[in-house]
Amino acid sequence: MNGLFLVARREVLVRGRTKGYLVSMIISAAVVAVLAFLPKLLGGPDEYNVGVVGAESAVISEALTTLQPTQETTGDEGPATVTVTEFPDEAAARAAVEDGDVDAVILNGDTLLTDGGVNSELSLIVDTAYKQVASAQALESAGLPPDQVAQAMASVPEMKQQSIGEDADEAGARLAIASIVVIFLFFMLMYPVMFVAMGVIEEKSSRIVEILLSTLRPWQLLGGKIIGLGILGLINVLVITAAGLIAASASGIMPDLPPGTISTLFATLGWWGLGYAFFAALAGALGSLVSRQEDANATITPLTMLMVASYLVALLTASNPKSSLAVVLSYVPPFSAMMMPMRSASGSVEWWEQVLSAVLLAAAVVGALALGARIYRRAVWRMGSRVKLMEALRG
Amino acid sequence: MMEIDGLRKSYGDKVALDGVTFTVRSGEMFGFVGANGAGKTTTMRIAMGVLEPDAGEVRYEGRPLAFADRRRFGYMPEERGLYPKMKIAEQIAYFGELHGMSAAKSKKAAAEWLERLNLTDRAGDHVQDLSLGNQQRVQLAVALVHEPEVLILDEPFSGLDPIAVDTMADVLAERNAAGVPVLFSSHQLELVERICDSVGIIADGQMVAVGSVGELRRKEGRRVLKVAVEGAAPGWADALPAKVVGNDDGALLISTDDDQAVLAGAVAAGRVTHFGWQEPTLVEIFREAVA
Repeated sequence: MNGLFLVARREVLVRGRTKGYLVSMIISAAVVAVLAFLPKLLGGPDEYNVGVVGAESAVISEALTTLQPTQETTGDEGPATVTVTEFPDEAAARAAVEDGDVDAVILNGDTLLTDGGVNSELSLIVDTAYKQVASAQALESAGLPPDQVAQAMASVPEMKQQSIGEDADEAGARLAIASIVVIFLFFMLMYPVMFVAMGVIEEKSSRIVEILLSTLRPWQLLGGKIIGLGILGLINVLVITAAGLIAASASGIMPDLPPGTISTLFATLGWWGLGYAFFAALAGALGSLVSRQEDANATITPLTMLMVASYLVALLTASNPKSSLAVVLSYVPPFSAMMMPMRSASGSVEWWEQVLSAVLLAAAVVGALALGARIYRRAVWRMGSRVKLMEALRG
Repeated sequence: MMEIDGLRKSYGDKVALDGVTFTVRSGEMFGFVGANGAGKTTTMRIAMGVLEPDAGEVRYEGRPLAFADRRRFGYMPEERGLYPKMKIAEQIAYFGELHGMSAAKSKKAAAEWLERLNLTDRAGDHVQDLSLGNQQRVQLAVALVHEPEVLILDEPFSGLDPIAVDTMADVLAERNAAGVPVLFSSHQLELVERICDSVGIIADGQMVAVGSVGELRRKEGRRVLKVAVEGAAPGWADALPAKVVGNDDGALLISTDDDQAVLAGAVAAGRVTHFGWQEPTLVEIFREAVA
């Protein structure tokens, strides 16, 4: 046990202090944080500055500020607010539009001055306010007393909306989150798994394994490496997840996330752990077959292919998480390591499905560790040309 | 005491070891010599448990050598191995801990070894930034950091400059004096002759000669007399019951069964300035043994 701990500690201290590890973690965290802000940046502002000038200014500005945001204007980000500024004359208002101080100016209550047009949300708000004012004036000029006009205007109920299918916005968000979960898992698995293979090959190619194995059992050397690099991988995952969550709450998109997103993220950590143990055990075994860094690619390609295949199939089925392919593969290790969290993020799984899939994957992890240790033990001290997998298995 | 007893090992059809047997006693410096591919490395790897023999066993203090025993051994494999991207002080201390030392003790021992090997100012460097000779020193420190009970070193002197050879020899002699059996292989036969108590010569997987350097010399049938005679006529030895086998800087090298007859002949021929047995060097013994 002490040997296992010493090996794991060395991996954490030596690999964790390399610039490559720290820099890639910081960059990944920064990228994830930026991604969390992206919906905000692309979604347009929530606040508009509108200027008013000339006749009808008072009426129109009252309409703008009291306007109840309709369903269409709320979008993903909640109701937009409109700030109204009154300008003394048309020249000042035009200058403000040109300088970008305001998004648009309503001139004499019937003309919209813009700097090259406004976005559809603001256009809708302004149009609604204009029509409200114009309708009220039309009714008044038709002879209705002003209080009745006000009553009539207020009695128009908002249009009801009812979705027959899934909420389109939520479905979109779920697809995005499922895709992000899959991409995140893939990269977070790929890095430490490759480090395991590289580390095993480094020890074998530098022949240090011969000294190590005179004081350590093979399972201690392989197990310590998997644990140590796993700890580094977990730190990476936690830092990046934290960066994403902090950025998401800072950018204010948290309330817009579909229900269950946060618990999905926590479950993803568990899937990452199982997936890592599975792939890392195989990576260690395959790495032990070769004695030269140049042979690294050849030996670990089958594993990389398996990981890429799991990734692609999970990513491609994210848009159709209820397809039978997605459902079946979400129970088949190692595909389940990415398929099940993808389905979970898509909001289409029961808790017992996740537990069942996790149990199956955990059983596969035990098998992979036993198989990996067996191959590693037999192959790691055979120097020279690449050891054939079947030879290592038979011993 | 470490006993290597009847080791056999084949790789496919090729027999690498064919009944290798010898003993390294406590406090003994054992030089293991042989041509490339004779079986030195295979023997040492089996002794370190890195390789399984097909037959035979290695005993330590009378018991079959176990994993726990080997943890207290010091080993330098033929192909040097260190982590290229790990600081050398940390690396030496790491191996100390792997051999069961406490963290504090191994750190201290690492510092002492760096001091001893003149590497203190490189303590924070990565192994890959050191010269080969310095990497070799680190390798020695890795093998010795835990004060091993037995040393098994495969070609510890190869690639060292003369100063480093002396340092290495001193270190080995010191461990030896502390009662540690040292088994090392080398192609530098003069060096082996100079520092070893015993020598084992292996050829084609079999031990062809084992014993102290003196024993091996005496065993040799081809001892020659070295005789220098001032003022002797050329060919003075031709009539003697002897055969001139060589010439060493004016002195004749004579092979004979009757040394007294040669002495009498030499005295008769002139003024004898040198008369003595010329002992074969290890190089000669080795050539003879593996021929």
